Amino acid sequence: MSNGLALTLENRPEELERLTAAVETLAEQDNWPAALTFKVNLVLEELVLNVINYAYEESGHHVDVSLVCNEEDLVIEITDQGIPFDPLHDAPAPDMESPMEERSIGGLGVYLVRSMTSDMQYRREEGKNCLTVAVPTEG
Amino acid sequence: MELKTTREGTNLIVDMEGRVDGTNAMDFQSALEGAIQQSDQGVIMDMGQLQYISSAGLRVILLVAKSLQKQNAKLLGCALSESVREIFAISGFDKIVPVHDSRADALKALED
Repeated sequence: MSNGLALTLENRPEELERLTAAVETLAEQDNWPAALTFKVNLVLEELVLNVINYAYEESGHHVDVSLVCNEEDLVIEITDQGIPFDPLHDAPAPDMESPMEERSIGGLGVYLVRSMTSDMQYRREEGKNCLTVAVPTEG
Repeated sequence: MELKTTREGTNLIVDMEGRVDGTNAMDFQSALEGAIQQSDQGVIMDMGQLQYISSAGLRVILLVAKSLQKQNAKLLGCALSESVREIFAISGFDKIVPVHDSRADALKALED
């Protein structure tokens, strides 16, 4: 198993491509099952794009992403210096049941992340949002 | 992401290939909307070659499903991989976009 990855991304949506490429390389090296690669990409995209799209008012800022591979889980940490945002409490509740014409999409990304992670913790520290999530390697 | 479309009568079949994520969801939306005609009764998204979809892609599917409903047409999915099927189930999308095992099953469902 390799150690993982650490990347600093600019707050531009195109940076997602660099992140995805880094995950795909790691997944190949460590022989991840396709389902795990899917989950890690999804968790990272939903959380990182939230930061890129909403944390800052202007460009030229950064978001730090790290991923550490353990036996039983992959621990992802996302850090930014944007406006305080705790996805655990500040994201809207997703709409899962409304008929199609009334259905809205808000909050779905964070909901998907919660369903794919075994642990999710947020803290605001020294002017930074620090979000840590764990993706189980099995199941 | 690549879309290939074919027609079977008044049904449009959309082969989705690759990834639909936050970087290309807008392209996916314009390609899908551009392919749909007013006369379409059914649209089948064949996801057999779809490797990845995030909430950005689901958002587009919801928008297209809503506009199809206005023209009394149906949106269906088929051949979902295990991971995509899981996303559909978790998000409750399988309740607004019926999913079928194969393209043949989806076409049959439109006939019924």
